[in-house]
Amino acid sequence: MAGSSRHHRSHTDIFVNLGGSEMDISSLAFANSLILGLSIAGIFFVAALGLTIIYGTAGVINMAHGEFIMLGAYTVYALQNFVGVPYFLCIPAAFVVVGAIGFAIEKSLIRYLYDRPLDTLLATWGVSLVLIQGTRLIFGSDPKYVEIPSFLSSNLEIGGLSLGVFRIFIILMALLLAALVWFIFFKTDFGIKIRAVTQNREIAASFGINSGQVYSFTFALGAGLAGVAGALFGALNIVLPTMGMGYVVEAFLTVVTGGGALMGSAIASLAIGELQSIFALITNSTFAQFLIFVLIVVFLRFRPQGLISASGKRR
Amino acid sequence: MNQNLYNKKTLQWLFYAAAFGVIGAVPLISDDAFLLNQLAVYGVYGMLAVSISLCWGSGGILNMGQGIAFGLGAYCMAMTMQMQTQAEDTIPPFMLNNGLDSLPHLWQPFQDTTTGIILALLVPTTFYLVFGGIMFTARVSGPFFAIMTLATLSAFATIFVDLQPYTNGVNGISPPGSLNLGETEIDPYSSGAYWFVFGLLVLCTVAAKLINQSRFGLIVRALKDDPERVRFLGYNVAIYETLVYALSGLIAAIAGCCFAVLTQYVSPAQFDVGFSISIVIWAALGGRNSLIWAMFGAFTVQGAQSYVGDQFLNTWILILGFSFILVVRFLPGGFAGLVETVLGRLAKPETETQSENGNLKFSGAKEVAK
Repeated sequence: MAGSSRHHRSHTDIFVNLGGSEMDISSLAFANSLILGLSIAGIFFVAALGLTIIYGTAGVINMAHGEFIMLGAYTVYALQNFVGVPYFLCIPAAFVVVGAIGFAIEKSLIRYLYDRPLDTLLATWGVSLVLIQGTRLIFGSDPKYVEIPSFLSSNLEIGGLSLGVFRIFIILMALLLAALVWFIFFKTDFGIKIRAVTQNREIAASFGINSGQVYSFTFALGAGLAGVAGALFGALNIVLPTMGMGYVVEAFLTVVTGGGALMGSAIASLAIGELQSIFALITNSTFAQFLIFVLIVVFLRFRPQGLISASGKRR
Repeated sequence: MNQNLYNKKTLQWLFYAAAFGVIGAVPLISDDAFLLNQLAVYGVYGMLAVSISLCWGSGGILNMGQGIAFGLGAYCMAMTMQMQTQAEDTIPPFMLNNGLDSLPHLWQPFQDTTTGIILALLVPTTFYLVFGGIMFTARVSGPFFAIMTLATLSAFATIFVDLQPYTNGVNGISPPGSLNLGETEIDPYSSGAYWFVFGLLVLCTVAAKLINQSRFGLIVRALKDDPERVRFLGYNVAIYETLVYALSGLIAAIAGCCFAVLTQYVSPAQFDVGFSISIVIWAALGGRNSLIWAMFGAFTVQGAQSYVGDQFLNTWILILGFSFILVVRFLPGGFAGLVETVLGRLAKPETETQSENGNLKFSGAKEVAK
């Protein structure tokens, strides 16, 4: 991974650098592409996790999600280069910094737009423009790099199957974050409040839950998770002010296909990752992406609420 | 005389006539070929803003993938222009570079100019009818539909890059000659081309305004406010949504054709997500509910972007982003909404003699199409 992903390409290209190479044993190639699919699924899931929470709870289509990811990557870059913080400490730091930015944006803008979903979408697009441009003015347009510990940038080979250690790390992080979010949602008081507000805001409010505050913290949590995603993707790829644009459409498709629930997003990202990897093996990576888009459109035609609907009601 | 001037139909038409009169007179003042070409391209952007205003402002269908119709129209037109310059039995040079030795079937119809132009309008509109039909009968709407248009747009961008032998990939198609219609050549750097685009802009805008004022337009605006209620009144909402979406696609396809004629170049950049969303930004800043103000929005934003210069471009985009946020937050009607409010204030002193009910009635009647 380390060598091929250092130059700037569409981020999905790097997922499938195995699919193009012809293998002697096709079953080995297939097994490799399944493993690669798992890695893509991990990336999709991490990218979509913050969005799932924000969309699933408040129904907000946050177009600035990709830029939250970008901010996470820049946070790590800044901490490494100006403070000298080790990579593993940068990950929680990215969560805190981007979460705080998300909180501020929610308090100053998003909270006024909850009953105007289309306008939220537009306003957050404006936010993404401002964040990209602001980052460009501060850090410049030249690519930045995130340093990772050397053992993470090696390659693991077992019987002809190979995968970068960092990709395995991303898959583990995806599992860890999923477990964390599940714990917050289903085992804490805050989680009960979130689920109550998701099911019915008015009724929850009449039981004394401060729904505005729940929304604010949920948004901050989602933004923070995007920051963690940025801390991971910044090491996977180069860091640019526009890097978030590449993730936002795929992340949305994952969330919408999944229906806004945590489990839905997990299943959707697994399916999309594996299918994309297998299609890429048969055709090529670009056409695989096209097929995925078409499949998702067809799927949503017949199941507009997605795999598992978060709130039970159709948005 | 207690109605808001903004909503008087006669005044609206007079305003349209005056605005188009000024825009159409530009070649009489300046004969700078480069400037005329640039302004004509703004006309294309104006058409796109009008198309968004029609489906989003009137129908409430936020379409963030208007680049689909725009790009398809532009590609078909560029293919037609490319084939015009090809000698008998030769194929475009880029195909040779990509290992093709005969003209692919996809390109065959474009050998004939009339067929090519018809296809440039028919292909995008048909796609919109089918895609819209599929989506709207499944009752996909609101932000969901916006995301789906965005995904479809990305799919188109991907496939046009991927089909390199047929589309020349990221390099796009740049026909070496300008478009010939019968005996007349449309030189993109001439007042003729300017008036050609201008004529189409007037045609699209007036047609869209007539649609808005028709019975069809009334139902479309009704379903923006409450699709369920329109459905309960016995209308087939999906048909109305699909039609208004396809009509806006047709206007965008015309814009795409003009773009290919004016710039003699198309590339997957026409399918760029950022470009399609900036169309929405133009319409939002100008005023999504007003066709002509949406058009002004396109002129202003694109014009300013060209003239702030490279040095301030970064700052300019920052300002654009901020003003977009502010408009969405405080001024959902855009600049047109501001004009409407101001004119409404002007009309108020005379309505104060009216009863409370009278005032309420007139404030409710502000949905007259502009």
